[in-house]
Amino acid sequence: MTSNHRKNITRRSLLKGSAFAAGAGTLAAGALAASYWIGGGNKVSRTLGKKVIVIGIDGMDPRLCRSMMEAGLLPNLAKLSSRGGFSELATSMPPQSPVAWASFINGAGPGSHGIFDFIHRHPHDQCAPFYSAAETLPGEGGLELGEHRLQLDFPPFNHTPAKTVLRRQGIPFWDYLDAKKITSTFYDIPSNYPPSPSHYGHHRCLAGMGTPDMLGTYGTYQYFSEDSPQRGFEEGGGKRSRLRFINNTAKAKIVGPQNSLLKSPTPITVELEVHRDRASNAALLEVGGQKIMLKPGEWSHWTRLDFPLSTPKPLPQQHASGICRFFLQEVAPNFRLYVTPVNVDPSQPAVPLSEPPGFISEISKSLGLFYTTGFQEDHKARSNGVFNDEEFRRQATTVLEERLTLFEYAIENYEDGLLFFYFSSSDLQSHLFWWNSDENPLHPTRSTAEAASRYQYVKELYQRLDKIIGDIDDRYGSKATLFIMSDHGFANFGRQFNLNSWLRTQGYLNPKECTSILKNADWSQTRAYGLGINGLYLNLKGRERDGIVEPGDEAEELIQQLITKLQGVRDLHGEQVIRNVYRSSQIYTGSATALAPDLIIGYSRGYRASWETCLGDLTPEILLDNTSAWSADHCSDALEVPGVLFSNRAFRQTNPALIDLAPSILDEFGLPTPSTMTGRSLFQF
Amino acid sequence: MLIGMTIWLNQIATAIANLVLAPLAWIPGGLSLTLLAAITGLVMLVVIKYTSHQPALQYTRNQIKANLLALSLFKDHLGVGFRVQGALLWGAVRLLGLSVVPMLVMTIPMYLLFSQLSLWFQSRPLTVGQQTIVTVQFGAGQERSVAAIQLNALATPAAMVTSGPVRVTSKNKVCWTIQAQHPGLHDLVFQVGETHFTKEISIGESAMPVSIQRPPRQLTAVLVHPREQPFASDSPVQSIEIDYPRRPPTWVTGSDWWMVYWFLASMVIALLARPFLKVHF
Repeated sequence: MTSNHRKNITRRSLLKGSAFAAGAGTLAAGALAASYWIGGGNKVSRTLGKKVIVIGIDGMDPRLCRSMMEAGLLPNLAKLSSRGGFSELATSMPPQSPVAWASFINGAGPGSHGIFDFIHRHPHDQCAPFYSAAETLPGEGGLELGEHRLQLDFPPFNHTPAKTVLRRQGIPFWDYLDAKKITSTFYDIPSNYPPSPSHYGHHRCLAGMGTPDMLGTYGTYQYFSEDSPQRGFEEGGGKRSRLRFINNTAKAKIVGPQNSLLKSPTPITVELEVHRDRASNAALLEVGGQKIMLKPGEWSHWTRLDFPLSTPKPLPQQHASGICRFFLQEVAPNFRLYVTPVNVDPSQPAVPLSEPPGFISEISKSLGLFYTTGFQEDHKARSNGVFNDEEFRRQATTVLEERLTLFEYAIENYEDGLLFFYFSSSDLQSHLFWWNSDENPLHPTRSTAEAASRYQYVKELYQRLDKIIGDIDDRYGSKATLFIMSDHGFANFGRQFNLNSWLRTQGYLNPKECTSILKNADWSQTRAYGLGINGLYLNLKGRERDGIVEPGDEAEELIQQLITKLQGVRDLHGEQVIRNVYRSSQIYTGSATALAPDLIIGYSRGYRASWETCLGDLTPEILLDNTSAWSADHCSDALEVPGVLFSNRAFRQTNPALIDLAPSILDEFGLPTPSTMTGRSLFQF
Repeated sequence: MLIGMTIWLNQIATAIANLVLAPLAWIPGGLSLTLLAAITGLVMLVVIKYTSHQPALQYTRNQIKANLLALSLFKDHLGVGFRVQGALLWGAVRLLGLSVVPMLVMTIPMYLLFSQLSLWFQSRPLTVGQQTIVTVQFGAGQERSVAAIQLNALATPAAMVTSGPVRVTSKNKVCWTIQAQHPGLHDLVFQVGETHFTKEISIGESAMPVSIQRPPRQLTAVLVHPREQPFASDSPVQSIEIDYPRRPPTWVTGSDWWMVYWFLASMVIALLARPFLKVHF
């Protein structure tokens, strides 16, 4: 300010200026307050309670994020990063989704929650596999009436009906919030089916990854075509049936849940009638009194299917409601129709899918019908050739659109406390479309140009997610602590390693003719076996049903040998296949280690366990190309595929890990880190 | 004969309903149904008052009350108890018998009112841009017509064909997917050769009558679908149906639930108004 100007300042002008400044200040404060209360064009919470929002983006990769941010392609994440922080997020070992998300939930490693792989085995059954995060236990007792068997769980019968139980152990971090009356709402949290109960009524949750479809599987599509084999067949994740048209009409059956009220449960089916008109290139589907007309390339809306469960007379018939969507691929010459897995109807769920159980119906009242299975992007249909890339991408985009509608609902209904929302698209689309040619120029099945165009899909998806994050940052960036995180990153999966074949070659698994450890392994001659994606087990005496390896020195010597030899495995051009082999006794602590593998194989980037290894099958070759459409993965060494962490608050700790998030969230609400957690708050020194 | 009479009654009821129920278009659904239930309850009371033997009804009700009192007073006397229960049963039968005449008088008007109300409350009109399926059902032996039928797009600007036709020769029917274009009550025009067949279509956000089917000349169909003239028995087209969306599931005006609400609300109104109108039933 110059002296001339200073001279001109009188008391009156000063007062006027002060009044103007005060007025402007009041207006600005008012505008600020208004923006707080109104939150711009979109609805934001008006409460003053503490707010923490966590967006879980499964599989979002830090390397790709960094390169896209540097290229200016992820402006919102870059903005968040500059305001708060961006870091790689150390993941679990093994870096598999159920393991990683359970570690996030407990704020502690696998030793606390007991999930070590997608697939576990009960040692008393030797190696019969089951899904690690949930298990269906058979019922006990029953009243037999004709062909029916009723399980009545009240006196004097007290039968125990079959039930699915959550295998994740330990205390989820939301229990600590719940106990302090802090509201938490989770949309599709993985590794939480059936949803764990809220003890104080302040926790709500929609089950995510691990939630089954109506068939009790993790997603079984049904595919009807004229060129399917006469008797149809089942393939991993799907059923194919042949359609035979007479006078342009064909009949088929959509397979639903098993009728558990029968002594010998059989699947309940719903009649599907298909009429096609070649001239107009369209088809009419008639199912359960509903008509659906589709042209090739068209998806139907969600359709309710009513599955009647026969009951002994005179008891009233029971019903289970499922939902599915139809996708007409071709009318002629080869009629092809894809039906999504039959999802549990969210408006009247046949099994509890949320906590409290009515939470999902409440959502459905607002949003209508939506996917409820854990795996929504139908990667199996792509891997089995039912979908081509474009069809899969379209289905995945449909899933994302549905998720965004749910996300908008979640935001609109958020007041305060913790909000968690999960996006699966980045994981399942990356599995099929990711290929970083800087690491491996040659894709095993695609041309370089095609691989690059598919990789572009992943980048476009990241950009779309960036916009969503920008929107949430606009609405809540100044009112809430935001965490954008992923459970792991991604890597090419060009070569696959059959662990059991290698064990057989090395003489640890016998006989030489063994083709599957579930079928023809000689356990009296087998000292070690692989099951799941990263697990290696000793055939330990006293633990395994047919164990032969003596615990103690013999086991220790065997472990040493295996580690040394596995780390020495080289590919055709001398590439190291396995980066590290971890002893579970050294990396896991906690009370839930009973089912842990003895060794965890940490594959190098570009490698993974072979498809056959996961369920114990052996192949003649040990190392082979991965020719599946599933051409990228993250089940390697945890050091190879860290996740991401973005926040609008700066971290005080370096090298954050997945297990640090729960303590950090609790810290944001003023709660100390519980003794059950091994992570630490990122906001404390 | 019965079909002809039903069609004739439906035509009269539709003409009256077009005038009397027209305000439903701008009164909120729950309020309009409550008002209609109130009017229905009051009219039922008046009909009962003037078509039943009121003194006999009053006497029978008093007898039932007396017998109920006796039952509680003499519960230790088995003989009295049985006799009183017999009398109660007889009283109930007598009450039913005395209600037959008013019930008979009300049957046809109630059917007509109910069928007209169902046009307003069972389904909701298509919204502009919404797609649905329309099905033309042919009689037996009409294979040529099945092959030849067309939805006349020029004569039907209210809706646009988005896919089809799918000709289901095994069931003598043809389906199209149409998309609603303009609000209001319009006609879809179908053509087989030079012959035209029409079907009313309801489009818009406001309430309006929704006729799901233009029916065949069959009693059950005519009873359920009163609004449009049925197709003649010898017409190649036997029915035309539009898949309208159901109303949102609410306790008052949701599809199917509106019936329960209308019935219960009219009963409650009738019971409340009974002392004022001095009606016994």
